[in-house]
Amino acid sequence: MWRGLARPLRALPTAPGDLSYTRVLIAGLKNFVIPQNYDNISIPERPKLKFIDKVPSVPKVRREFKNLRDIRGPSTEATDFTEGQYGILALGGGYLHWGHFEMIRLTINRHLDPKIMFAVWRVPAPYKPITRKSLGHRMGGGKGAIDHYVTAVKCGRLILEVGGHCEFGEVEHFLTQVAKKLPFPAKAVSRQSLEEMRQAEEERRRNNQNPWTFERIITSNMLGIRKVLSPYDLAQRGRYWGKFFLQDRV
Amino acid sequence: MAAAALSGRGPCRAGWLPTLQFVRQAKSVTRHWKAMHFERQKLMAVTEYVAPKPAIPAVCSTPRVHAKKEENGYAKLLHRQVAEAFQDSKMIAVCQHCFTPSDEMLMMQHRLRKHNIHVKFFPNEIVRPYLSTSKYKNLLPLFVARNLMIMSPEIKVKEMLRMLKRVPQISLLGACIDDTILSSQGVVSYSKLPSLEVTQGQVVGTLSLTTSQTCALLQHGAGHLSALLDQYVKQQSGGTGEPDGQAGEGQAEPGPAAGAAGL
Repeated sequence: MWRGLARPLRALPTAPGDLSYTRVLIAGLKNFVIPQNYDNISIPERPKLKFIDKVPSVPKVRREFKNLRDIRGPSTEATDFTEGQYGILALGGGYLHWGHFEMIRLTINRHLDPKIMFAVWRVPAPYKPITRKSLGHRMGGGKGAIDHYVTAVKCGRLILEVGGHCEFGEVEHFLTQVAKKLPFPAKAVSRQSLEEMRQAEEERRRNNQNPWTFERIITSNMLGIRKVLSPYDLAQRGRYWGKFFLQDRV
Repeated sequence: MAAAALSGRGPCRAGWLPTLQFVRQAKSVTRHWKAMHFERQKLMAVTEYVAPKPAIPAVCSTPRVHAKKEENGYAKLLHRQVAEAFQDSKMIAVCQHCFTPSDEMLMMQHRLRKHNIHVKFFPNEIVRPYLSTSKYKNLLPLFVARNLMIMSPEIKVKEMLRMLKRVPQISLLGACIDDTILSSQGVVSYSKLPSLEVTQGQVVGTLSLTTSQTCALLQHGAGHLSALLDQYVKQQSGGTGEPDGQAGEGQAEPGPAAGAAGL
């Protein structure tokens, strides 16, 4: 009799709509998880994201070139965390204009709890003037007038950082919400997940079984392949194509 | 990309220009996905990532070992408490713990405490591993569903049963008293046993009974015979008269002597 009781209690389906499986009911010892220690994290005075201007305080007089190389290739600034623990990482190049900034600011500020969380911008306010010609005019007649300003973002740059007395799981939801709405592919990351991503990349590069790598072929100019490649490809090693970042490449 | 060949002579005599100059005409950074040159497509296809594939797949070579779950501090504490409780107590009773109102439970615990009997609650998953390695292995079938343990360093079964009778929701399953496993009926009969002194007295009395009877047994035969002969003498003297009485007396004298000699 006792052996039957020693097995975990199973609830048989009684309603006619139930499927033919049994639910196992187990009650074990509760695992009291020790809560995380946030003693070394202080919330700044203004925890919410600042308002970003549409136009810089000193508007540009000189109209600038398109200069698309500010989108091309990997980013050199704002690639690592400074104040916060979680953030949004750009996985492609693109321009952020005021509409994007407002969307980010409103969404993040709505989800922030100012008592325990804070957010910090990692991109500057729009500084690059973009010109537009008026509608319905033919080509020619000089460069158009300055229409709006944008911020250039390269791949691998952090857009904003969020920190405080919170876990990644709490913050991930609204960070991914924001990341999906950006004009380039982006994802929510934490310090740990970024580290893991970089290590995984490194691991892939090391254990690649293909003896032919892009770097090897291009540096020794095998088959005269540099005729169809750009000098930028030497540094980018086939991982970037224009503003796009090719994640599967090694 | 167009190639233009320039002649070496002419205005470029001081410096030199390369024979072939490549002029790029298309934009390199576009909003859309720009089509790659076929040669470049071939290069990209050739230099793709190839994952390492071991001769024996990892699934076959790694043994299927369940990762040992790290025991949390609370479980360790409970293990220690269980071990202490079992070592310190001589009387351990296991009862089925159905729902009792908290005030009744509290009163029962209070009354038991007065007799130095403690009521302990431990999760089965803590108690069962301890029991399986200790001498209380045979108590394992009792620790199955919701249960509680009544432990005491002294053995006071009568008081315990009296308290348990007052609370009908808690039913005794079994007990281990003085390293002896008893069922609930066994516990009841244990409580009805007389105390140790009384039983000792009984044993002593039983042993000395035979020795006390020995003396009486030895004297029994002779006494019976003398009584019979007395009776006979009386009958003879009463029936025949003096000469028979003398002869009866003469016969009566060697009688007990013969009886004594015979014994």
